[in-house]
Amino acid sequence: MAQVSTRDRVTVYEPPSLARLAPLTALSRLSQSGDLLLTLSVHRVKVRYKQSRLGILWAVMQPVAMMLVFTLMFAFLRTAPSGDVPFPLFAYAALIPWTTFSTGLTNAATALTSHAGLLTKVWFPREILPLTYVAAALVDMSIASVVLAGLLVWYHVPLTMHALWIVPMVFVLTGFVIGLGLLLSAVHVRYRDVGLAMPVLVQAWLFATPVLYPLSSVKSKLPPALYAVYLLNPMAGVVDGFRRALVLRATPDLQALAVAGIVVALLVPIAYGYFKYAESTMADRV
Amino acid sequence: MPFDVSLENVWKQYHRGLTRGADPFWAIREVALEVPQGSSLGVIGRNGAGKSTLLKLLAGITAPTRGRIVIHGRVAALIEVGSGFHPELTGRENVYLSGAILGMRRREIAAKFDQIVDFAGVEPFIDTPVKWYSSGMYVRLGFAVAAHLSPDVLLVDEVLAVGDAEFQIRCLQRIQELRAAGTTMLFISHDLTAVERLCDAAILLDRGEIAARGEPSAVVAAYHRRLALWDPWTDEASVDSPRSGVGVVNVTLADPDRPGAVAFRTGHALVVTIRYAAARPIQGVEVELRYYSADGHTRLAAPRTGEDGIPLELHPPGGAIEFRCEALPFKAGGYAVGAVIRQITDGRVLAWWDGDTRLYVEGGPQTDAQLYVAHSWRLLPDGDGSATTDGSKLREGSRQQAGDAGRMVADQAEESAERLPPSSRRPG
Repeated sequence: MAQVSTRDRVTVYEPPSLARLAPLTALSRLSQSGDLLLTLSVHRVKVRYKQSRLGILWAVMQPVAMMLVFTLMFAFLRTAPSGDVPFPLFAYAALIPWTTFSTGLTNAATALTSHAGLLTKVWFPREILPLTYVAAALVDMSIASVVLAGLLVWYHVPLTMHALWIVPMVFVLTGFVIGLGLLLSAVHVRYRDVGLAMPVLVQAWLFATPVLYPLSSVKSKLPPALYAVYLLNPMAGVVDGFRRALVLRATPDLQALAVAGIVVALLVPIAYGYFKYAESTMADRV
Repeated sequence: MPFDVSLENVWKQYHRGLTRGADPFWAIREVALEVPQGSSLGVIGRNGAGKSTLLKLLAGITAPTRGRIVIHGRVAALIEVGSGFHPELTGRENVYLSGAILGMRRREIAAKFDQIVDFAGVEPFIDTPVKWYSSGMYVRLGFAVAAHLSPDVLLVDEVLAVGDAEFQIRCLQRIQELRAAGTTMLFISHDLTAVERLCDAAILLDRGEIAARGEPSAVVAAYHRRLALWDPWTDEASVDSPRSGVGVVNVTLADPDRPGAVAFRTGHALVVTIRYAAARPIQGVEVELRYYSADGHTRLAAPRTGEDGIPLELHPPGGAIEFRCEALPFKAGGYAVGAVIRQITDGRVLAWWDGDTRLYVEGGPQTDAQLYVAHSWRLLPDGDGSATTDGSKLREGSRQQAGDAGRMVADQAEESAERLPPSSRRPG
């Protein structure tokens, strides 16, 4: 029954205060809940496609459909901005990180409010809820990557060593979705405007990110000061970097990627701190 | 004795309405409390008194506005059975999911999986999505998971309010087991009989404050004195000017042969004690005990003191009337018990108790009929009268074979001998 060792664990509940934030304690508690994070993430992936005929295929539908729409659009306009690369490949390589970002963020932002029943009944580290949606988005990303592999074979574009750049970029991408997801989900508990603004936000963000156009054209057209602002969007460096590494067989834009890395490195601790501060009264507001 | 749970001057503020500054009120006010390791504390009070808020604070679901709560050890909160179940997932997947949400490790759940499924009795359906489960199966599986947690501190909120009688008895028994194993417990319930049986101490919350604390029976009595004399119009408990001058303080159940029993047995004795408070001497009244079906719709039996035409006189500050049933006629299941004090002359009801007390019946002789009515019988063959067989002796033998080892044969012989003929018993 009750083990002697767990009695040593002391939990203190006090009024929420920024001064009393204990990020290390929070992280150690999160790591103790690793099993829950895993179980819930698996559950997230499983439940989404239960009782659907196409099942996991839906994970690739979104980027594939968007790629087809964009390909048709530029076919009509006869002005594909992809240079000598086939446009479907150009678009799809960028849509993989983009879709991960947009679905991960949209779901993570409403993760807390859609689990109000749990939040008011059981205690567990609340960040687990948005994190599971990020995990599910990453699973979708790996499935969508299979289609990219197919496209690369179809268009006879071989992978090079540059593809290894994907590893650090996936870290930056994941960190960004986690940071923004934590922040927005915590704010959403208090102000439901976040959920309502999400579709608009994501749509505008798509055009502010080099998904349909290369980063180089932004660099040549914007004044340097504005371009610096443009790069503050970490998705700029990540999306363009994915395309360069996978399809263009080139090194990502390191300046853009470095800015993205710094923004994410600043965002994640701030977002986590705010999340833990807001956590203690979330149950009163969901 | 070390404390597992301590609250240092805890306050919790909520706001009526949506905006932050609007109409604040204190749901918990200046609560200071210590629960020693291994003991169990009952929390009682009217709806809105702050009981659930207190539990949420202890579970860490929400933070206090002022003060400090310190908890030693692993906490599990049973606030709602089946929280964290997902309808699309199978029973098996939900056991893991819900276990993880309640704080169990995967390995721990795997080790207890068979026990959990067995406890819930849903084995044939374990790989069926729980959305196809009956509500009973759903609740049983939910509780089974929670019941196999091994926390140091267990918080229980009204779990017993759901499920059928058999399930409720199981809940109570499991809680008894955990208690015996040294788990510290906080127990919120409207089932005051359960609070008295399961808790070492109790507190009474009233509008967020601790209004009474101490022995469970004393606190329950204090609560009922308040309720009985509580005037719903002024929201004040006033002992000075109760309108009728008398109130039912509480109704408690006991099996004289098995002190502390949670459930009572068909065909065995049951003692019901109705405590009353009186503000002034009252004459010419009778007290009626009422047994209801679990839903409270059907009145099954209502023995009263006035049956024999003897009026009672009740004196301040109060006292008790004890009703004794030698052979409980109800078969296994859940029932509600209520009481009424009325004026004999005009039948005016002076005080009542509306069935907050639950009666669980389990075990004893089985019957397919509506009621179990104990009879003695004899076989009387025509002709030679010397071949008479005495039925009560035979029945003792068979009961013992059925494994009812807890009772002594001598007791049973005595009981059979004392058993009254059905005609002279109270209506049942």
